[in-house]
Amino acid sequence: MIALEGMGKVYPRPGGGPVRALKEITLRIEHGEFLAVVGSSGSGKSTLLNVLGLLDRPSEGRYLLDGQDVSKAPSDEQARIRNARIGFVFQAFRLLPWASARENVELPLQYSERAGFDGLAVAALESVGLADRVHHRPAELSGGQQQRVAIARALVNGPDLLLADEPTGNLDTRSALEVMAIFQDLNRAGRTVVLVTHDAQIAAHCRRIARVEQGRVVVDAPNSHPSDAAEALRSLPAVSAAEEER
Amino acid sequence: MTPSRLVASSLRAMARQRMRSGFMMLGCLVGVAALTLVVSVGRSAERKILDMVRRTFGPSSILVASGGGLMMGGPRGDAARLTLDDMAAVIAALPEVEAWDPQQSLDGAPLRAGDATTTARVLGASERAPRVWGRGVSLGEAFDAGAVARSERVALVGETVARALFGDGDPLGAEIRVGSVQLRVIGVLEPLGTDAHGMDRDDEIVVPISTLMRRLANVDTIGTAKLLVRDPAQVAEAARELERILRERHGIASGQPSDFKVVTPAEVQAMVGRVQRVLFVFLPLAALVIMIVGGAVAASLMLMAVSDRTAEIGLRRAVGARQRDIALQFLVETVVITVTAGCAGVLVGWGGSVAVASRLGFTGPLSWSAALLGVALSAAVGLVAGVAPARRAARLEPVDALR
Repeated sequence: MIALEGMGKVYPRPGGGPVRALKEITLRIEHGEFLAVVGSSGSGKSTLLNVLGLLDRPSEGRYLLDGQDVSKAPSDEQARIRNARIGFVFQAFRLLPWASARENVELPLQYSERAGFDGLAVAALESVGLADRVHHRPAELSGGQQQRVAIARALVNGPDLLLADEPTGNLDTRSALEVMAIFQDLNRAGRTVVLVTHDAQIAAHCRRIARVEQGRVVVDAPNSHPSDAAEALRSLPAVSAAEEER
Repeated sequence: MTPSRLVASSLRAMARQRMRSGFMMLGCLVGVAALTLVVSVGRSAERKILDMVRRTFGPSSILVASGGGLMMGGPRGDAARLTLDDMAAVIAALPEVEAWDPQQSLDGAPLRAGDATTTARVLGASERAPRVWGRGVSLGEAFDAGAVARSERVALVGETVARALFGDGDPLGAEIRVGSVQLRVIGVLEPLGTDAHGMDRDDEIVVPISTLMRRLANVDTIGTAKLLVRDPAQVAEAARELERILRERHGIASGQPSDFKVVTPAEVQAMVGRVQRVLFVFLPLAALVIMIVGGAVAASLMLMAVSDRTAEIGLRRAVGARQRDIALQFLVETVVITVTAGCAGVLVGWGGSVAVASRLGFTGPLSWSAALLGVALSAAVGLVAGVAPARRAARLEPVDALR
């Protein structure tokens, strides 16, 4: 599905030499994989994800998406691919604060070529367990709920690639596990998921782990025994209803 | 994004940032309100003035006013030296004058009839006034030359005065007092409404000029006189001669300003033209300038909004918005705000013109063409003001906008 060939990213730095954020990255990701990109901050893992998501253009090398070099595609074509094929989940949720959960989820549909999108947003919210929060605004939701709204937004247009940048970074343990359980479900249903994290425990849920250091992929290995987030959730002590409401 | 969705989301954005939207709206709102108000009121005022001029100042009229006053100007201190003798000398020298009427007035005189009181302007005129000014009586009859010669205590009352003093009762034959002088009402003046100066011409009474000068005001001068010449072509020549005779009689050296003013139809035309220029050129231009300044304010506030909403722009790009979608969003948002302001301006201007018109007794308040022009201009201002913010927003790279 994805092939990076000798991909590098160089940032110009005012008043200094250029910064090489990524060097000679060669990476293949097949359909249906669940990859964790781990590394310390500044290692280049977020830049890698931005390139994969067509939010940033590589300075060198090629990025083939299903055989097509998309890194040099025109901006409008990249926007179309982001809209139709890629779903993003960010660390800080990035929901529009004035819009309801449904309206937030509908955002990608507004830029799609679909004529009508009745029910799609609600269905996406149902799939992340938020059927009863459709009309709530982000401020009326917990962090975990907000991130689930963001996942519904990433899913609503039916993309085959899901990209998540530290999706659990702002969440408590329980919410993080809930989010990871959703990702595992989605991956089991056939979606390709690429997740960036610096948390080894989160990465342990993925089926393949790539470690990035100083702009290079230094380790890339399958994870033969991924943790099951749903199971971990069940083993957590039960929370009171009141705490859940919070 | 579909157009209807763009507009709907723009309206929400406008409602979300009330303060900013309010400031963005100010220029267009004030400009369009001013435009609508000025043109609406101006149109009715123009109609009123032209109507008034047509009725009271035909093409063969000459008006002479003491002092330097214009039209209805009353005596002005020492400069007022116009007398009936002056006028008699003028008329004797100008055979082309077929009729003339001298006038003097007493403003805000207290009137009483029985227990009812009011204040009104008391106008002194000759028996020729109905012919010269084109205003007769609707009830009873006007006074004749004999009444003027004998300074008779008779009066013609305007409708406003009649209502104030007699209610629905018949004023004919009734006695009214001006100060301590008793007058008998012999007629009711034809209604004139509000004149070009905003004065209610029905809130006055007309008495023989001799009665006013001797019994009421105790003056030897007249305020104005209107002359009708036989042929409009003679007006200019007659006016020059009139001016020469009066200057000579008043002993005014050449080069010195006159202590009276002569007004001819040509001058009235020029004056109306000046008023029209102010109403329909300069004031709308001022409104346009306000709108342009408002547009600059809107543009800079929208530019700030782009910076404030970088994260939103980044997110929209990430989920598939193209550069032109983002540009269009900011452009449409700006236009929606200015057009909303324009519509609000029309409402404000319309309300204002209704208020002004009702105070001045005008009719036909809203100028649709001005209202439409105002809204169209608002849209144009929004389009121009929205270009820079739209470009800046669209140029943001998704990865930079998401940082």
